[in-house]
Amino acid sequence: MAKKQRGETSSASNATDSEKLAGSLSLMLESSDDEAPEEVTFEDSKTQALRNMKRALDTVKREKQLLKEKRRKRQELFQEQKKRKLLPADVLEEIDSVPSEKQKPSEAEAEEEEEEERREKQKKRSRKLPRARNLKGNYTVTTLKDRASVSYQQQAAMDFIQSRLYGPGSCRSTSNELLSLQSKKGKKKSAAVQFVKKGWASKEKAKAEKLKKRWIHKQQIPSC
Amino acid sequence: MGEFKVHRVRFFDYMPSAIRAMAFSSRSERLALARADGALEIFNFADNYFQEKVVPGQDSRAAETLCWVGQRLFGAGLNGDITEYDLDNLRLRYTVAAYGGPIWTVSSNSQGTLLAAGCEDGTVKMFEIMEERIQFQRNLDRQKGRIISLSWHPSGTLIAAGMMDMIRIFDAETGHATHRLLVERGIGASKSKEVVVWCVAFLSDHTIISGDSAGKVQIWDGFTGTVVKTHLVTKWDVLSLSVSQDESSLVAGTSEGTVIQFQFISTTVDQQDKEWVRTRTFKNHSHDVRALAHIDTAIVSGGMDTQLVVRPLLDKVEKNTQESALRKIAFPHRSLVCCAKKAGQLLFQFTEHLELWKLGESDGHGKPGDSLPLKKKPEKLLHLKKKGDNHICCSALSPCGGWMAYSTVSSVRLYRLQYINNDISITKMSKLPKGLVSAHRLCFSSDSSKLFASSSHSVIVISLNQLECKYLYTLKPKSGSRQPVHLLFASEDGKWLATANTDCEVHVYNLDKQKLHCTVPVHSSCPTAIAIHPVTSNLVMAHADQQIFEYSLLHKEYTEWSRKLQKQGLHSLWLQRDTPVTHITFSTRNPAHIIVHDEFMFCIIDQNLPLPESKTLLYNQMTLRSIPDQERIKHSHAFKICKNYQNLLYVTLLEDHSVVVVERPLLDIMSQLPAPVRQKMFAT
Repeated sequence: MAKKQRGETSSASNATDSEKLAGSLSLMLESSDDEAPEEVTFEDSKTQALRNMKRALDTVKREKQLLKEKRRKRQELFQEQKKRKLLPADVLEEIDSVPSEKQKPSEAEAEEEEEEERREKQKKRSRKLPRARNLKGNYTVTTLKDRASVSYQQQAAMDFIQSRLYGPGSCRSTSNELLSLQSKKGKKKSAAVQFVKKGWASKEKAKAEKLKKRWIHKQQIPSC
Repeated sequence: MGEFKVHRVRFFDYMPSAIRAMAFSSRSERLALARADGALEIFNFADNYFQEKVVPGQDSRAAETLCWVGQRLFGAGLNGDITEYDLDNLRLRYTVAAYGGPIWTVSSNSQGTLLAAGCEDGTVKMFEIMEERIQFQRNLDRQKGRIISLSWHPSGTLIAAGMMDMIRIFDAETGHATHRLLVERGIGASKSKEVVVWCVAFLSDHTIISGDSAGKVQIWDGFTGTVVKTHLVTKWDVLSLSVSQDESSLVAGTSEGTVIQFQFISTTVDQQDKEWVRTRTFKNHSHDVRALAHIDTAIVSGGMDTQLVVRPLLDKVEKNTQESALRKIAFPHRSLVCCAKKAGQLLFQFTEHLELWKLGESDGHGKPGDSLPLKKKPEKLLHLKKKGDNHICCSALSPCGGWMAYSTVSSVRLYRLQYINNDISITKMSKLPKGLVSAHRLCFSSDSSKLFASSSHSVIVISLNQLECKYLYTLKPKSGSRQPVHLLFASEDGKWLATANTDCEVHVYNLDKQKLHCTVPVHSSCPTAIAIHPVTSNLVMAHADQQIFEYSLLHKEYTEWSRKLQKQGLHSLWLQRDTPVTHITFSTRNPAHIIVHDEFMFCIIDQNLPLPESKTLLYNQMTLRSIPDQERIKHSHAFKICKNYQNLLYVTLLEDHSVVVVERPLLDIMSQLPAPVRQKMFAT
């Protein structure tokens, strides 16, 4: 029993730990060396052990419940997101004349997770099936063009070259740096080629230009 | 030389595309060059490296590799198609999907019967080359990892394939891999990175040369599959290799922009056994060298810095001649600018769009050399994007500025431009004649009433008015040349139309009679610019070998001046220029003045002045300025050359006798290039 208790306490939460610590400290202060060891009846120790065990069980249960709550909330969030992702209602109706079960209000969701999962699978199936079945009106099914995979492969190959020649570890500088090195080594020293970035702060520059025009305009009006 | 008001135009942001691949055909002495934007260019090395043909590119179709098979040219790219080019009509002849993912390389055997393509999925696919098409034959054993490079053994029985971390040798008959040569990875941090064998070459003595991403050029024994020698040439990648035809020399291009030559020579004088020795290093590029061709007398290289460099090997050519000079080809040998002389507008042709600009205005007066204050800034009127996948191959603007046309391989589009007080409106002409599918060159007549479009070896004439355009007639030369027309010029008086094709033929049509007027005697070099004088109706032609001819259309013979020029010969410095004349125009005030330009100068040829003797100074404008007026006349000669403006794309004379100079400094192009490698330099 004592073994079991130790095992339980070790898994118990921090709050109970600190409580115990405080208790033992007070016990140490009260008791002196010459006093005889306090008599503890078997009943007492039994009840205490039982209490401890119960407390531990409680905490485990509470934790489980918290976890469940969390899962439930997440589940709800997912459902919400799924609903949001769906096509607009009118389109759905047009495609799917058979009402699917997905509209059913989900009441007993806060139960066992396995059950939830199973239901989710069912829902998925029920959502897929009508789409596969009911295709009427001006909807046609076509496979994606082969071009897409070609361009994907082409892009991958181009990325390969890019990463090989310009990727990390390729030790590249910029053309600008090269030009400034050249001008440093050359006989004729000159200013950097791109001394000022032309695209730098273009918005601010445009704004300044506008303000300047306005200011000039303002200056002109009183003189006229 | 006279005084001119100059519009110095620097707003044409022309950006050439990087060179991806090249292939040299020693039979026809032509170099095919593939650019990153998908364009294919053909240079004629027998004719002063003239850029004869340009096949415009397409969106998402750029050749990664090129291969000549006889006179036919094949290309393949990362979109997974093998393409044969139609060099007569400047378009793609057909494309064949290889179904192996992106294609990294194609190579044909020396017999010209099979084409091998190395694919992303690890297969080498063999195609049979037939008369009209190519047909898939079979796959060689599929490997793990992509096939980056391929090289056939000259006997046609073995193929070496460069892959990730290794080189495989295949038996071409059975399709099985016979050897696996493991390539060592780089040291240090790149140890964990797979090494890419960017290029391989299989020599006839079963030596295999490889260049890889660890910066090594390795020489392997093909019988045993062992390394003979490793040359560590760079810290970056070795991207390209090319072996001379006699297999005595090879060159390797690196990311640093260097080209390194190896030669097969004996290291000591008395020894018989030869080995590959690193001999020379050339540094003509600032960026990665992606493509190389080792021709008999020179090394041709190109890469990310967009310039084609021809570096003659000084042990193969005579020293201190024009042959031994280094050549850099930075700009296309055709005009990308069109000017509406009356309206003062410029049309700039890019690969994917057109830009229409109005020139600035200035009423200031100043001393020669001053820059005048602008009354009105140059203004961008229009930015027209192309429609569809195909890139623009030619464009034209009418002299009045009211019409604009451009052509791609698949369609011609014509637009009407209208200006209503500072507003520009553009309307597309919807019903073009059915015969007008594509054009190699477009040109408007001087009164903007006709559009000339040269399609494959004929010229279609279309009349234009406000509401519709109508097909009038087709002009065809009598000769059976199948080469494309690359130059068109309509005379000022609307009577003549001159065309030139890459077979060096120049035809002149009489537009009143709607038939061929005459054919100019064929010169051995290709014409690079033609123009008809507005007053005298003389046809002036500049050729790739820098010769200039004047031909009288009325008498159907060379003029007196042209004969004199040929008899005396052009000045040697004039003949040594290495860029062709790309545009000819005439002065409205002085009919004796012809204005020509190339990339580095523009020149006013005064036909009244004596021609320069071989000993006189050709570039004499500076000295003339320093001597008094009376002596000037004694010293001046017909060629008045101005080098104040560099890297010229276009020079013309407007109606008001001001000069338009379109410059594109190479520095501006260079500052926009992708990242070069970081190099340490001493004391920087």
